[in-house]
Amino acid sequence: MASLFLPKHSLPSLLSTQIPKTPSLHSLPLVSKSSHSQFYGLTFSSSPSLPLPSSSSSSSPKKASIFAKVSKGQVPPPFTLKDQDGKTVSLSKFKGKPVVVYFYPADETPGCTKQACAFRDSYEKFKKAGAEVVGISGDDPSSHKAFAKKYRLPFTLLSDDGNKVRKDWGVPADLFGTLPGRQTYVLDKKGVVQLIYNNQFQPEKHIDETLKLLQTL
Amino acid sequence: MSTSFPHHKYYSLRSPNNVGRRHHRRFPALVHCSATSTAKAKHKADQLVIVPRPLTPPPITKTPDRPSIKDPDLLSTWPHRAWVASGCTTVLISLLKCATGSAHSHIWLEPVLAGLIGYVLADLGSGVYHWGIDNYGDASTPVFGSQIEAFQGHHKWPWTITRRQFANNLHALARVVTFTVLPLDLVFNDPVVHGFVWVCSGCIMFSQQFHAWAHGTKSRLPPLVVALQDAGLLVSRSQHAAHHHAPYNNNYCIVSGVWNEFLDENKVFEALEMILFFQLGVRPRSWSEPNFGWIEEIETPSQTTVY
Repeated sequence: MASLFLPKHSLPSLLSTQIPKTPSLHSLPLVSKSSHSQFYGLTFSSSPSLPLPSSSSSSSPKKASIFAKVSKGQVPPPFTLKDQDGKTVSLSKFKGKPVVVYFYPADETPGCTKQACAFRDSYEKFKKAGAEVVGISGDDPSSHKAFAKKYRLPFTLLSDDGNKVRKDWGVPADLFGTLPGRQTYVLDKKGVVQLIYNNQFQPEKHIDETLKLLQTL
Repeated sequence: MSTSFPHHKYYSLRSPNNVGRRHHRRFPALVHCSATSTAKAKHKADQLVIVPRPLTPPPITKTPDRPSIKDPDLLSTWPHRAWVASGCTTVLISLLKCATGSAHSHIWLEPVLAGLIGYVLADLGSGVYHWGIDNYGDASTPVFGSQIEAFQGHHKWPWTITRRQFANNLHALARVVTFTVLPLDLVFNDPVVHGFVWVCSGCIMFSQQFHAWAHGTKSRLPPLVVALQDAGLLVSRSQHAAHHHAPYNNNYCIVSGVWNEFLDENKVFEALEMILFFQLGVRPRSWSEPNFGWIEEIETPSQTTVY
């Protein structure tokens, strides 16, 4: 059957979506080799330091750059956020064991639901690896509570009010800043980032990649 | 004036003479069969006893909007035929301008390529419009409300498009083509421009026919149509059938379907939906469980029998 399917190599795409430790500088990247996000077959990237609505921050450097603020090998900035039950949860609570911190766009959207359910379905494997799973989005605790209840999610969902932690960690936005990015961090027992995985439109891959890394920790 | 790609102008509650409603009162209410048997389990201390309950008679539901093959709203009228004639005329004028201009300029490759681009883009346009109408707005939306209602009717009773007479099916698109192509016919003489215009507008105007064929059965379709579907030049029955499954979020293109694989595999519409959600706060229909009004009703023999 005739179809219009462009081979992947003809589109600016990444083979790897792992973020290097020292990415190169670009100005106004539409496509970046050291990028962050993969829109399956296409790559669009925006730096958190570019003046885009979803990622603007007065404390960001003015120079255009695509540095993630948190890179592999670094200890990310601490946070204290409310979970789906309204209780405050700090990142320090998870020190001593590996933790998977995944930033997702919003509750009750197709990709985020697939991702949450995929984490749920593999939760035993994460427990076996001694890891905790924490999801973070800008939704409020009541939204998280309903989302967790509806899909029987066994892990913690945190409310990043104003997307502050997302900005602090440098989670890049997608599609020229129009979408909050989908990025997962794996922290080891010492709280050091060992993996950063970004993929907006293949959410289930976050589970595979993080489990793969956890086997080696 | 309705804009492009009315998918299925099904009769609505707003139809001026409500013929459909009168029509349904003349005939027995169609039975929506859902015979079920239920068992009541009585639990005793050590024993589970299942007591079968007799089958309850199937509920009779009156659905005034449910179509019948004798529904006058499926028939062509003279205004329908007039619009189809005018649409075809404007397309033919464009075709003739392309042909004569090409002969005069001794070119053929560029107009042919332009036509090919028109054919390909018509498919993309059909998909984008279809996606928008399927996911946003409702019957009260200005300009598009009747289209959205018609699309809902088509999702609920997809088979009726095969009962719709030719001009009835195409007239809304023909009207749009008339108003769009006529100015182009008057303003442009370039054969390359008209190569694009006549093919693109022709494909758009006839997309409802391609759509109807995509709902047909192989044994009832002309062999040429089946061959074109199998070759991927017209949207195939199987490809379009994939759209008619909840949550109705794929295979939106209905001219050739050539864009469907690319758009679906690259999650293009999902990306657009996410952008609209985060920028405008609107949720597409396909993100939620389809409500009763959109879920397909299975065609029963009583709906196909001529009284």
